[in-house]
Amino acid sequence: MPQSEHLSKQYDQDLDAIRSRVLEMGGLVESQIQTALDAYASGNAALVERVIEEDERVNGFEVGIDDACIHIVARRQPAAVDLRMIMAIGKIVTDLERMGDEAEKIARMTRQLYESNQMSPPKFVDVRHVANVALSMLHRALDAFARSDAAEAARVVKEDAAIDAEFLAILRQLITFMMEEPRIIGRAIGVVWIAKAVERIGDHAKNIAEQVIYIVKGADVRHTDMANVERTALG
Amino acid sequence: MDAPRVREIRSVIARGKRWDVVFAIVGIVCLMIGLLTVAALFVDMAVKGLPRISLEFFTNFPSRRAESAGILSAWVGSTLVMVVTAVTAVPIGAAAGVYLEEYAPRNWMTDVIEINITNLAGVPSIVYGLLALGLFVYQFGLGQSVLAAGLTLALLILPVVIVATREAIRAIPAAMREGSYALGATQWQTVRYHILPYSMPGILTGVIIGLARAIGETAPIITIGALTFIAFLPSPPFQPEPPFLSFEWLFAPFTVMPIQMFNWTSRPEAAFQVNAAAAGFILVLMTLAMNGLAIWLRYRLRRNINW
Amino acid sequence: MEIARPEVQRFTGSADGAIKAAAGGLSFYYGAVNALRNINVPIHEKRVTALIGPSGCGKSTFLRCFNRMHDLYPGNRYEGEIRLFPDNTNLLAPEVDPIEVRMRIGMVFQKPNPFPKTIYENVAYGLRVRGERARRVIDDKVEQALKSAALWDEVKDRLQSLAFNLSGGQQQRLCIARCLATDPELLLFDEPTSALDPIATGSIEELIHKLKDRVTILIVTHNMQQAARVSDYTAYMYLGELVEFGRTDDIFVKPRDRRTEDYITGRMG
Repeated sequence: MPQSEHLSKQYDQDLDAIRSRVLEMGGLVESQIQTALDAYASGNAALVERVIEEDERVNGFEVGIDDACIHIVARRQPAAVDLRMIMAIGKIVTDLERMGDEAEKIARMTRQLYESNQMSPPKFVDVRHVANVALSMLHRALDAFARSDAAEAARVVKEDAAIDAEFLAILRQLITFMMEEPRIIGRAIGVVWIAKAVERIGDHAKNIAEQVIYIVKGADVRHTDMANVERTALG
Repeated sequence: MDAPRVREIRSVIARGKRWDVVFAIVGIVCLMIGLLTVAALFVDMAVKGLPRISLEFFTNFPSRRAESAGILSAWVGSTLVMVVTAVTAVPIGAAAGVYLEEYAPRNWMTDVIEINITNLAGVPSIVYGLLALGLFVYQFGLGQSVLAAGLTLALLILPVVIVATREAIRAIPAAMREGSYALGATQWQTVRYHILPYSMPGILTGVIIGLARAIGETAPIITIGALTFIAFLPSPPFQPEPPFLSFEWLFAPFTVMPIQMFNWTSRPEAAFQVNAAAAGFILVLMTLAMNGLAIWLRYRLRRNINW
Repeated sequence: MEIARPEVQRFTGSADGAIKAAAGGLSFYYGAVNALRNINVPIHEKRVTALIGPSGCGKSTFLRCFNRMHDLYPGNRYEGEIRLFPDNTNLLAPEVDPIEVRMRIGMVFQKPNPFPKTIYENVAYGLRVRGERARRVIDDKVEQALKSAALWDEVKDRLQSLAFNLSGGQQQRLCIARCLATDPELLLFDEPTSALDPIATGSIEELIHKLKDRVTILIVTHNMQQAARVSDYTAYMYLGELVEFGRTDDIFVKPRDRRTEDYITGRMG
């Protein structure tokens, strides 16, 4: 959506600055999740520490961006697309911050699993696969935000269903394992926590994508069916 | 800012200000030429005439003896003529002005009329006198009366009143007019409740300035045949018995201040020159008083109107 | 495009009411200058409709068609119609007397323009113009109008003092009272707060909000936030044309037309 410039250059700069900080925060959260997944795969304690440390920065971004949004509202009284952008960004940063929390959960759970020596990673590659899908959803949602691409955002929304389905599959798989082998119940529950965190990451990515559609199209597609999301995004 | 720049700015300002001083001096000189001449004339007249001014001077009729001659018939005549002039010129002039501003369609006819009204103000007063002699004195048979003189002078100041009215109306902000119309007022209601009241100070000022000019007019009055020597007063307008009001004075012969003065100045005796100076002093005072009244009225009436 | 979700309720705005007036194919000419082109817009009853747009877009010209203000000056010409309901009178029809139109439709101007008379006489003027003579009736209506204009408490002890002694905001409320005294069906506001400070502006806006319970309001404003604050419907005009008309909620969040969006987001260069 090519947008002409405001009469006020400062206003343009302020809005651009907020957008790029959101993307920066998104990039940070992406790498945080990636690091958490790497830690889960390798058991590297240093990576776990890094994820936990990075969460501080993510939290800082959330506070800073919210503050910038408040100030834009107070000083510029944004309207129409600018208003939708500011309101959506307020929600997007919440989703990003929650994703950071989920990454931290994955990291802490990983440390717990490895410290109790209960980990045999290759057994649960399924989690890594679904995690990669969730990570790419986040990546594409941020892309869609950067390019104001509603169609791409709609595809992200659609993908969340696949993640939910996969999470249920993992759950079923783990239940089967646990019934077969009660000794691994503790370990399996840890993996369930991690899978749940991944599933939540997918949900948050979907929320971000819905906000992108709101920014671009002005229609709120939250809690509607997929047909409506696609119709809105492509219409 | 560095010092040379400051010095430069200061020298530019100083150069500019020199012209302020030069013009102020030139202006004062020009002003004084006019002012001092008038003041000198006035003082000369006052010094010459003051000894003659006493109560008797106002209450005595003209006489062959300079010491007992007075201006009774002249100031009464002037006053009566002014009353007639004001009473006729104000409604006619105001109505014409209101019509031109509020009602007249904007076309070439109106333009022609407007230009002619402005021109009328510049017509020499003697021409009005000739017109009045033919029209009022003979055609209408008014004779050489207060009424004829009053109407003549009314005609003379009519353009002034019309122009003053129009100026006053134009000074009323469009917002007042629109405010009135927006409430559903007709044109007449707008004129009656707004245009006339708000332009009244301006109209009155114009009228009084016109009257101040008319009171000193001699030529048209002589033309229609004012008497130069008159030793009786017109019958008073208020009578002791019904119907209490009388308009006989309108048709009485009369004289006015400037004619009385003219009469005295044309006498050879020096004592009458003193009388003339005294009458002139009174006439100037009357004019000043009228201008003062105009200023006071404008101030009074405009106090409530400030847009 | 948007699916109906009755459970998603708007916090602001109310349901569409009846139509009080409607412009149809309205064009307007100042001599040879075509100031308005083919304007079609409904005015909802007992709602506030705001006209916004950049300077010279014709919003004031359009407003002044509603009470035939243009008739006061020569060379102006209307085309099309403005229907006033429920009687379906075409306000612009040559056979309709502009005075009749102005008796039904009140107007508040950009700069407060009280008459240089007493507060009482200002409000009573509309009644006097309508031939009302009964002192008791006039007293009563003046009081009612001043109360409706939220001015009564401030002026009840000095009704006989001059209107010019009031502050700017009070003067503007007096002008509103002046209109209200004669119960107009439609009230036109031509940038009513452009000469006022923010506090006085706030009181006028609050008054507009209260008045819409009893009268339909059409307001021209160059202040977009004001349009957003006070109106239920907004019409965006540009170069003598109506670009977009819709609920204020929609116009300020999701305008349909790119030109509207550029204007309200401050991108108009």
